[in-house]
Amino acid sequence: MSGVFEVLTQDFMVTALLTASLVGVACAVLSCFVVLKGWSLMGDAVSHAILPGVAVAAMVGVPLSLGAFVSGVACVGLSGWLRNSTRLKPDTAMGVVFTGLFGLGLVLVAATPSDVHLKHILYGNLLGIERAELVQAVAACVGSLVVLALLGRDVRLVCFDPAHARVIGLPAGLLQFVLLAVLSATVVASIQAVGLILVVAMLITPGAIGVMMADRFGPMLAWAAGSTLAASVAGTFVSYWVDGATGPCIVLALAAPFAATT
Amino acid sequence: MLLGADWLGVLTEPLSYQFMVKAIAVGAAAALVCSVLSCYLALRGWALMGDALAHSVLPGVVVAFILGLPFALGAVVAAAIAVVGIGAVRAGTRLKEDASIGVVFTAMFALGLLLKSKLPAGVDFQSILLGNLLGISDGDALQCFAIAAAVLLVVALTWRDLVAVSFDPAHARAIGLPVGMLTGLLLGLTAAATVAGLQAVGAALVVAMLITPGATACLLTDRFGRMVWIAAAVGVGSAVVGAYASYFVRGATTGGCIITLQAAVFVAALIVAPRHGLIAARRASLRLRADPRAAALAAEGVGT
Repeated sequence: MSGVFEVLTQDFMVTALLTASLVGVACAVLSCFVVLKGWSLMGDAVSHAILPGVAVAAMVGVPLSLGAFVSGVACVGLSGWLRNSTRLKPDTAMGVVFTGLFGLGLVLVAATPSDVHLKHILYGNLLGIERAELVQAVAACVGSLVVLALLGRDVRLVCFDPAHARVIGLPAGLLQFVLLAVLSATVVASIQAVGLILVVAMLITPGAIGVMMADRFGPMLAWAAGSTLAASVAGTFVSYWVDGATGPCIVLALAAPFAATT
Repeated sequence: MLLGADWLGVLTEPLSYQFMVKAIAVGAAAALVCSVLSCYLALRGWALMGDALAHSVLPGVVVAFILGLPFALGAVVAAAIAVVGIGAVRAGTRLKEDASIGVVFTAMFALGLLLKSKLPAGVDFQSILLGNLLGISDGDALQCFAIAAAVLLVVALTWRDLVAVSFDPAHARAIGLPVGMLTGLLLGLTAAATVAGLQAVGAALVVAMLITPGATACLLTDRFGRMVWIAAAVGVGSAVVGAYASYFVRGATTGGCIITLQAAVFVAALIVAPRHGLIAARRASLRLRADPRAAALAAEGVGT
């Protein structure tokens, strides 16, 4: 039995567990909105679209996360504008924007000598997380949870009953944009800590589990957050035992309960 | 004159290399088949299916590497599993389509990454992700041509039924088409195109090839037949010019050049498209403002 808890004697494991849990809960809360709204692939889009921003930031010497955030928000804004002002379907509009930005980013990264590590962005480095990245991820996740706690009711109304929201005078466009900006910030801040694939999955699967298990928004949130917490802990332990990449282990630990609910 | 001849020499230099010619041909073939399918996917609202499949093939590729089988085989098997999985989640739960797609592809991609992290030396991941068009082997090139030809043949034989299913499944069912089978066929063709494109431009960018040409064509015409031709022209044109241009861009990935070019063509179409472009929309709204009677009619939905 002592072998099971040997993991917890390692500082880096404790840090990894806490980071994964916090990022997981923030993403799980967002994923409930995202899945109900039909925006599941927005996290995927944003996470690809940050590349040109990262490349440009590396070129001009500003913090990479600033470039990433600007470029992620640009992706969200452009897709929304394209959807409203052309006859393209929402998913096509989003697809055109994020693939275009990603292609541009690849050309920029290749054409400029910089130390942007594509692999690092893809997988993250949960077990070897650096202090600055950790602080950034924690700040963004706590920030997004606070914003959602303060505005959650209004955002929910705008998302699920836009006509009613407009009648009672809520700034619908602004609130929707706030939700998407919070989403972008969380994605950007978490990618460096836990890797792209984990963030993208955590923005979809917890919400999907919530939808399967509950009919009301509150219980849905609880199911989403609870299952993500459990999966973060279980996945991190498993990755230690099998000596495999941590992010993918957590994603699989999250997919298993989903499969069980279907 | 001398200067002119010199320029000509520089411009034709890439074509004197066999690897460049091969790269352009393979890129064009992959782009052709992806562009044609992108029209169907844009109609059906499945733009991100290509994205999902491109991620889902990873575990198949890694397993194929471990067993020493061809990558394409593993990729096709994994893509088929993903398609069946997405279908099962959509049919068996109340999740929306995008969430069903998302749950399945993230899990499969994660499985692929985990398997890959356990490999000692590992697959050349960079080339799966970003493609390696300039260094593609003869065998891979042949595979790509064969897949492209097979997909195009099937599309040519069934294109009318596929349009009916993509455009209006309810109507297709009413006129007695086997909707389930045709939907499966479209997904299977998309999976095959994804595998073909994977070798040419890489997983990350095959996604763009399955979205942008169809979206561009959708802005330029209202007829499906014409849309397919326009998409094919945009896709193949970008692939040929992009692959050729990447010879001159220092350090750039060929795939990145192709996709950036496609996006540029899309932006141009977005601005100048005759009926659905931004300039046309602007002029239409100005016309309405100048003519209050027309504006009133338009507000009532008459004559739109």
